[in-house]
Amino acid sequence: MKFSVCIKQVPDVSAPISIKDGTLTQDSDRMVLDAYSASAVEEALVLIDKHGGEVQVVLVGPEKAKETIRKALAMGAASGVHIVVDDVSGLDSGAYAEILAAWHKKSDYDIILTGKQSQDTDAGLTGGMLAWKLELPYAANAVGLTYDNEGGKLTVTRQGDSGQEMIELTSPCLVTCSNDMNEPRIPSLKGIMQSKRKKVETLQLGDLGLDPDTLSSKTSKTKGQGYKEVPGREPGKKLEGDPEELVTELVGLLENEAKVL
Amino acid sequence: MSKILVHIATSEGKIKRSSLEVMSYCKTLADKNSMTLEAVVLDPDPAKYTDQLNTYGPDKVYQVKHPIFKNHLNAAVIEALSKVIDQSGPRLCAFASTESAKEVIGALAARHDAAAIPDVAGFTINNGSVDAERPVMAAKVLSKTSSSSELVLVSVRSGSYDLAENPGNAETVAVDFDFDESGLRAVLKEVLSSAGDKVDLSEAEVVVAAGRGIKDENGRKLVEELAETLGAAIGASRAVTESGLFPATLQIGQTGKVVSPQLYFAIGISGAIQHVAGMANSKVIVAINKDPDAPIFQYATYGLVGDLFKILPPLTEELRKIKGA
Ligand SMILES: Cc1cc2nc3c(=O)[nH]c(=O)nc-3n(C[C@H](O)[C@H](O)[C@H](O)COP(=O)(O)OP(=O)(O)OC[C@H]3O[C@@H](n4cnc5c(N)ncnc54)[C@H](O)[C@@H]3O)c2cc1C
Repeated sequence: MKFSVCIKQVPDVSAPISIKDGTLTQDSDRMVLDAYSASAVEEALVLIDKHGGEVQVVLVGPEKAKETIRKALAMGAASGVHIVVDDVSGLDSGAYAEILAAWHKKSDYDIILTGKQSQDTDAGLTGGMLAWKLELPYAANAVGLTYDNEGGKLTVTRQGDSGQEMIELTSPCLVTCSNDMNEPRIPSLKGIMQSKRKKVETLQLGDLGLDPDTLSSKTSKTKGQGYKEVPGREPGKKLEGDPEELVTELVGLLENEAKVL
Repeated sequence: MSKILVHIATSEGKIKRSSLEVMSYCKTLADKNSMTLEAVVLDPDPAKYTDQLNTYGPDKVYQVKHPIFKNHLNAAVIEALSKVIDQSGPRLCAFASTESAKEVIGALAARHDAAAIPDVAGFTINNGSVDAERPVMAAKVLSKTSSSSELVLVSVRSGSYDLAENPGNAETVAVDFDFDESGLRAVLKEVLSSAGDKVDLSEAEVVVAAGRGIKDENGRKLVEELAETLGAAIGASRAVTESGLFPATLQIGQTGKVVSPQLYFAIGISGAIQHVAGMANSKVIVAINKDPDAPIFQYATYGLVGDLFKILPPLTEELRKIKGA
């Protein structure tokens, strides 16, 4: 069974950020493996431990993102594919899906995993778009995966609007993963050492028959127009005291000030 | 001129409030831009929603009737919506940002070579461009995104718009829809629902949300009692759904659901950005936390510093008196 896991490098969203003239600046330029991608890698590793097979990770991003591929290799993925795009700022989900589709059309896989969204944009579109472009059955927002070796069937538990839905997919197929699925392993020292010898294939967009200008001007159908602050909340009241007093005060406020009871 | 098509999400025989919010806003948008407002319902019995839909003034309602829509299955939804999009030819197709909608929007956009702007906090149409604002970076900032594509799909976070009735009398169109399940490579096997699914979290007026601070069964009971007294839906932080004290469906936040109730109780929740991403739009936020420096207090309308195990019993009792009266 061959897994192809699409991973993304994202800024560390916990670092403080500020906006000046519509542009975003971060205090730290630390880039990390996206948490949803990490769960996808983890899940693939768990399944091949059980059923045998191999995990390859695929990443679209600048040269610097190679460190993120190394991280996934250190977790246990066997090999990596780096599709180099120096400036990803003009690419939307549609463009990412186009690039990933071009790669997968010429590669072998049974199951493609992606994050259900990514920590920076939270868009959650790329997986579904990719599935459509590759004509694959898919399920999104997976919180559990089991594989049946005999029938080549993958059973996905996905978090739906109310309750969970169990979907049986016939491979080849695609699943987008929630970070609620598992706790991604921390690479061991041995894993880190081994990752240095693992193969990372580096490709340019041209190798996939794609043109960077077309991808940002035409394939990307949405355009970023800058950032703005989230409207702030009115400062609130902090109440301290013994429990009975707190309760009386709160109930009074909810009744008479907020009028929500 | 052109059309806005709104997908109507239903649950338990009712239209979801979030879809009505989208309808309310799209009616205004359509009137302002001299556009036609259309709605589409996929359901085993779509006609039963027509009266309620008419309260929100669509010009036309597409009804796609099929037993398969009893449960969510992405292939069927995509097939049906594609057909209606082809038939209607909208400029804009708007969804409430439900888990079901999130699952299909990407594929639907790819199929129609359309733009998709998901999970927006607001959007408008300016000179043929759809301009939206959506939370990014764990909802710490808003990204302004626009598209001039011929077809733009937008999904809207619940609570972004108020309900506004606008009674009308829509033309209804029954859409022919055959769906052959036999060749499907994705089959719905089972729907697992849990006890916590009774009140629809994303629609609730009052939410009582539990965090790691509730610790155990005993804390859970206190939370359940408060929720019951208020007729509230129960929500939870990731720490709590992970521990299994409450089911995963109840998770609120970046990975979980977005809620925007009138009243939100954060009980023993620290206020990590990923949690706040799902509840910051609540009108009144009450936080109960023993750590005076917990980040949740930055968002709280009323912050109670103290031990939840000591505060919840008298709070529930006091509220019971009021509610009982
Ligand atoms: C990509 C990603 C996505 C995520 N998505 C989500 C999401 O959707 N939803 C979500 O919730 N989290 C999410 N998280 C996790 C999030 O970062 C936090 O870890 C989580 O929200 C913490 O939950 P908590 O506040 O319940 O627990 P903690 O942070 O441990 O806080 C517990 C709080 O309880 C208080 N407390 C303890 N005992 C008492 C007592 N007796 N009385 C009063 N107060 C008490 C403590 O002071 C503390 O503030 C995500 C994380 C990542 C990386």
